[in-house]
Amino acid sequence: MTSGRADATGPVPPDVDLGRVWIAVAEQVWRRRPGPPERLAARILGSPGLARALVTTPSLLLGWVMATAVVLAVGTLVTRGTGTPYVALGAPAIAAVGIAYAYGPGIDAAWELMGSMAVSHRLVLLVRALTVFGLNALLGLAASAASGAAAAMTFGWLIPMTALCALALAVSTLTRSANAGAAAGLAGWVLTLLSGRAATGQVAAAVTDTALTLPYLTVAAGCAAIVGYATRTSRGPS
Amino acid sequence: MNVEITDLTRRFGRVRAVAGVSLQAGPGVLGLLGPNGAGKTTLLRTLATVISPSSGRIRLLGRDPGAHRQRREIRRRLGYVPQNLGYYPGFTVVEFVEYFALLKEMPPATVSRAVASTVERVGLGDKATAKLRTLSGGMLRRVAIAQGIVNEPELLLLDEPTAGLDPELRVEFRALLRELGQRATVVVSTHLVEDVGSACARVALMDRGRVVFHGTPAELSARAEGTNAAGDAPLERGYSAVLAESRS
Repeated sequence: MTSGRADATGPVPPDVDLGRVWIAVAEQVWRRRPGPPERLAARILGSPGLARALVTTPSLLLGWVMATAVVLAVGTLVTRGTGTPYVALGAPAIAAVGIAYAYGPGIDAAWELMGSMAVSHRLVLLVRALTVFGLNALLGLAASAASGAAAAMTFGWLIPMTALCALALAVSTLTRSANAGAAAGLAGWVLTLLSGRAATGQVAAAVTDTALTLPYLTVAAGCAAIVGYATRTSRGPS
Repeated sequence: MNVEITDLTRRFGRVRAVAGVSLQAGPGVLGLLGPNGAGKTTLLRTLATVISPSSGRIRLLGRDPGAHRQRREIRRRLGYVPQNLGYYPGFTVVEFVEYFALLKEMPPATVSRAVASTVERVGLGDKATAKLRTLSGGMLRRVAIAQGIVNEPELLLLDEPTAGLDPELRVEFRALLRELGQRATVVVSTHLVEDVGSACARVALMDRGRVVFHGTPAELSARAEGTNAAGDAPLERGYSAVLAESRS
């Protein structure tokens, strides 16, 4: 099973191992140079493998991040024009979809193989989910601040976003489907918004009503526990 | 012994996919034969530490896969080629193999050399920088094998590795198997009896979750003597004879 490159040359001195020479050349020619984000991640995480897993996250790819930024920018403009806090209402849903597409059997083609790797499933999931969450929170906060929202509105959606992201992650993990996770996140948020509106007459109640903080945190904790259980390292008897 | 399995059982709901398997394997190539649904893939997945056993005892490379640190050590020394390995279509061959080399926690300084060497070893040097979406099924199988052996594993688990390979490549792959088996324990699940005959020093035949034969290919062939078992080759007849006997 060799491609025979090493043999495809002219006469060589007998003490030169062309195979080794070719491998040394191929190593240099084929070597992948990690970009700055991957090098930074490797330094922070202390693991080149984990860093590589992080930069290959679908919802952290440049196209996805740019799409998120564009949607939030449009939300900012509409918020400034209409006074309705679209950024605060949209940011949690956008983050939840990103989390659902961060990792899992529905996203990672080589999921089965990943389960036999020294860098564990759970660690990859944790790092990817936290990074997606953090990036979305930063983009959302920037958009919120740019939209001129009040401080309560600027930060009020972070806790609902946490609950929604945990819900999306739990459903995507349990159903092994990123689409199901994203759908659960979106549906959960629409129901929350509609319930808030029905109860108070304000669609923004879902992000401004402090009485909802505890339920949000409860949902987040419950869903995090589900994710932890579903991704537990199976010990079994040995 | 690199693989020590004692009374291993794995259930999926009510179904016992592996039902009380005991097996030992040292360096060399062990062929895992059996009909569809015999439990070969479940056994390999358990050995690959992808799933845990429902009951029984496993030791791999002298370590306990149930303990976190030891499982991580096993995984660093493990190569696994699943039956249906998913591919990232946008990755090149080198990127794919390198990705898994990094996830196996190979020392970063050794990864580039190991990847180049492995890609050449499986005959994909000409396609090293090609995107996976452009490769044929046979080439993708070779990519799968490359990621499995990039870390020079002490325990290599291959699930139907020759599926999709043309006859010429199958012959080359068997030679590679024999070479790998000189240093490592290689467990190959296959339903192709000829793979076993030419590459495996020992054979385990599974049926309905149990190991119904464990021995050399010659011993398996000998089981057909005196029977009218079906098959074109002695190994096939031995295979049929053992299955018929276990089911009677």
